[in-house]
Amino acid sequence: MEDSAADVAESIEELRRSFSYGSRSNLNFKYLKDLTDGEFGDFLEELLAAIAATTDDGDAARVTDVAYRWQVHGYAGHLGDPADFPHRHDDKPIALLGKPLSESRVALLTSSGHFVEGDDPEPFGVVGMTQAEAEARIMDFIRDAPTLSAIPIDTPAERLRVRHGGYPIASAARDHQVALPLGHLRALADEGTIGEVAPVAYSFVGATSQARLRKEVAPAWAERLRHDDVDAVLLVPV
Amino acid sequence: MSVGHVQRAIESIGIPTVGVYVRSFGHIPGLMGVARAIVTKHPMGRPLGAPGDHERQRHVVEQALALLARGEQTITELPEAWRTRPS
Repeated sequence: MEDSAADVAESIEELRRSFSYGSRSNLNFKYLKDLTDGEFGDFLEELLAAIAATTDDGDAARVTDVAYRWQVHGYAGHLGDPADFPHRHDDKPIALLGKPLSESRVALLTSSGHFVEGDDPEPFGVVGMTQAEAEARIMDFIRDAPTLSAIPIDTPAERLRVRHGGYPIASAARDHQVALPLGHLRALADEGTIGEVAPVAYSFVGATSQARLRKEVAPAWAERLRHDDVDAVLLVPV
Repeated sequence: MSVGHVQRAIESIGIPTVGVYVRSFGHIPGLMGVARAIVTKHPMGRPLGAPGDHERQRHVVEQALALLARGEQTITELPEAWRTRPS
């Protein structure tokens, strides 16, 4: 147990915020900053009750359920009033497959922050940026335009890397298919469910300038996919 | 949000798309007007399933591709609860 910041008095709000890029940063729980103090108390009460019950029967699912339910609640309000959401669109562009899925070339694009060993996008010119550095520079990422990493679909798992300052990457680092399902798509192509997987998948760090992404970057990436001659795209935000 | 912009841009040039969103972000595809989305009852950072749960991961991918194949323009929440291993 670490000494806590020299026992300086801390408000409940400061405590909640410390989990979001603060002294107790934990990206699984950064939503705690968006709860009210009362809700934070309810969260702790439920969590402690779940831990107590788990102590007796070992069923930790109830603990993860508490975290999941409060995560959903925390994010439900994080965009503010939907009417004021700046990226709201009342129109909906629609395209349809022009051929059966079993004859279609399907591409994969995710915001997971994966890249191939030896092809590090080196954000801000930093060589070998660590996950901790990416988290510390989250505001720089949010101001900058994103870089698209090309990932050949036959890349061995041990050559995949993931780094993203905006979400907990531990799961995606253990098993890239939680967000980058290369093997599942290849299997579905082998079985004939899809015609083929586009030879190159793409990943980027989704914590990025939304304005630059919308106006400049996303249209350019769409053209790149057209150049790849893909018939459909599976997207996986994290 | 980021993938919503990309999804709209791709769909706008005539290529159909489907996105897989975790429940915490499940309100975003509707607000942003994306054509198709699957929403999973999974925690942030694990949209397709837990590490090693290849059965669930594949199921989610199959459900997403099925939306594409059917040409539906819907946001569909999958009923399966989070799990750490196949039951």
